[in-house]
Amino acid sequence: MKPVTRLRAMLLAFTTLLLSLGSPFAHAARLKVGITLHPYYSFVANIVGDRAEVVPLIDADANPHGYAPQPKDMIRMRSMDVLVVNGIGHDTWAFEILDAAGMRQKLKLIYANDGVSLIPVAGAPGGEKVVNPHTFISTTAAIQQVYTIARKLGELDPANAAYFRDNARRYALEIRKLRASFDAKVAGAELGKFRCATMHSGYDYILQELGLQVTAVIEPRHGVEPTARQLAETIDRIKAAKVNVLFAEKYFASKLSDTIRQATGVRMYSISHISSGPYTPTKFVEEMRENLDTLAQAINDASKG
Amino acid sequence: MTATAIQQVRPAGARYEALVIGIAAIAVAGILALYVHERGREADRAPLFEWQVSAFDTLTGADQAIYNSLYTVKDEIPYLYDDINLNNAPGVKFRWPNIKDFNDALMAPFLRDRSWEQNGELQWSFFQPLAEGEMQGSTMYLGTDGKAPNQGSFLLIIGHVHAGFTNSNSIVIWWNKKNHVTMPESGFRDGLILQGWREVVPHNGADEVKRIFGDDVPQQEESTEDQDKAEQAVDDLFGSGK
Repeated sequence: MKPVTRLRAMLLAFTTLLLSLGSPFAHAARLKVGITLHPYYSFVANIVGDRAEVVPLIDADANPHGYAPQPKDMIRMRSMDVLVVNGIGHDTWAFEILDAAGMRQKLKLIYANDGVSLIPVAGAPGGEKVVNPHTFISTTAAIQQVYTIARKLGELDPANAAYFRDNARRYALEIRKLRASFDAKVAGAELGKFRCATMHSGYDYILQELGLQVTAVIEPRHGVEPTARQLAETIDRIKAAKVNVLFAEKYFASKLSDTIRQATGVRMYSISHISSGPYTPTKFVEEMRENLDTLAQAINDASKG
Repeated sequence: MTATAIQQVRPAGARYEALVIGIAAIAVAGILALYVHERGREADRAPLFEWQVSAFDTLTGADQAIYNSLYTVKDEIPYLYDDINLNNAPGVKFRWPNIKDFNDALMAPFLRDRSWEQNGELQWSFFQPLAEGEMQGSTMYLGTDGKAPNQGSFLLIIGHVHAGFTNSNSIVIWWNKKNHVTMPESGFRDGLILQGWREVVPHNGADEVKRIFGDDVPQQEESTEDQDKAEQAVDDLFGSGK
């Protein structure tokens, strides 16, 4: 064989080898999956394992409530292959960044709540049915989001789709075990004595799935403090309904909760909104475990009278 | 300095002008109110058939919690089915998960825990279709006799294409306002409607995104042929999810 022919044959064989490897090569560069909120960091990290990179859109210590977008957010966004969003009202700033970065028609978005059956905000003024966007403070709705994200990531990275699905199933079971642990902690408690109010509507999903109804919500809108008149009416409602537990936000302290506690004598407990601190794969499960422990404590305390 | 005399001249058609402006203002306000009333409500949520109920607007308390759990479980049923049947010995019939399987997998609303008690202790039963004959085709899970105030009953149906359903293995959730019902004899829609069953329709995240953004939902432009193929492959893996 002539040297040139041999070289051509070697090149052809090498090219064929590259093509036959096709998919792994295509995915040698891992997907960069952006996320807007802390729970989504945990969800995605548990789904993708080491087969994709998870990139938070905003700094870990930024408050996602009423966040003011920063230029560096646009730079981060431009590095992403896909962005996982709440999309139903808890990360509206992500869409501002999307527009400002000129990525509206360019970046693939995964709407985590696409398959979640939504519920209205409990205790909205006038009984108005307003969508509650806090689907991630839950177990059932969280599991639904994990499956949606895994499915959509699988569409972007078919070579890893089965891996993502299996991880999603394993993670869903881990979330379900949180509920089982909560159940053991409230064994024997008289749940009928538990009557709660919440500072805001963030805990509706988890309370509803546990079969615990919310009597009153203090903030008329998420992040909006009530007027003096609204507060007085809420205090009257809490007294009339014999509410004995008030859940307040762990990370965003409010003097209002102290005022209500003093006026009504309710016991106050703090629930995490899972929206602050370092982004970690274990954050969601750890903070939901704490939340369920707090709920169990509140139920047991109320049960004792 | 001389004082300036001010004389007010009233337009000849002042009364007529005020009347016209008043009528125009009322007309504009009325048209706007009508527009908001009609379009605003229309944009809120999709209209339903009379044999459907909204999980968001109609169901409350325990029933809403039960529906939302079922809505998640329906996506996991195909996985459980695979787990149960993947290593079947030759000759062993394939089967759908029963109530015990759901309990073993810690899946609400079937799991008998404190949340189940709080949500009315619905009694669940399972109907597995016959291999042949009229009852072939509909796997059904009935939850009834709940203890929560004004509690209804639930029916989750897995329909199969060979029984006349348009989608293979379509999973539909029905609700009946009656507290006590028995297992239907058939999973077909018309019969269920006559017995008081109503299909439950969620207001899900996709609906809400559509409501917020209208026809301008932020998303990457146009799906490529490769993406379509990838979506099909993942549908095969995850189930259609519809």
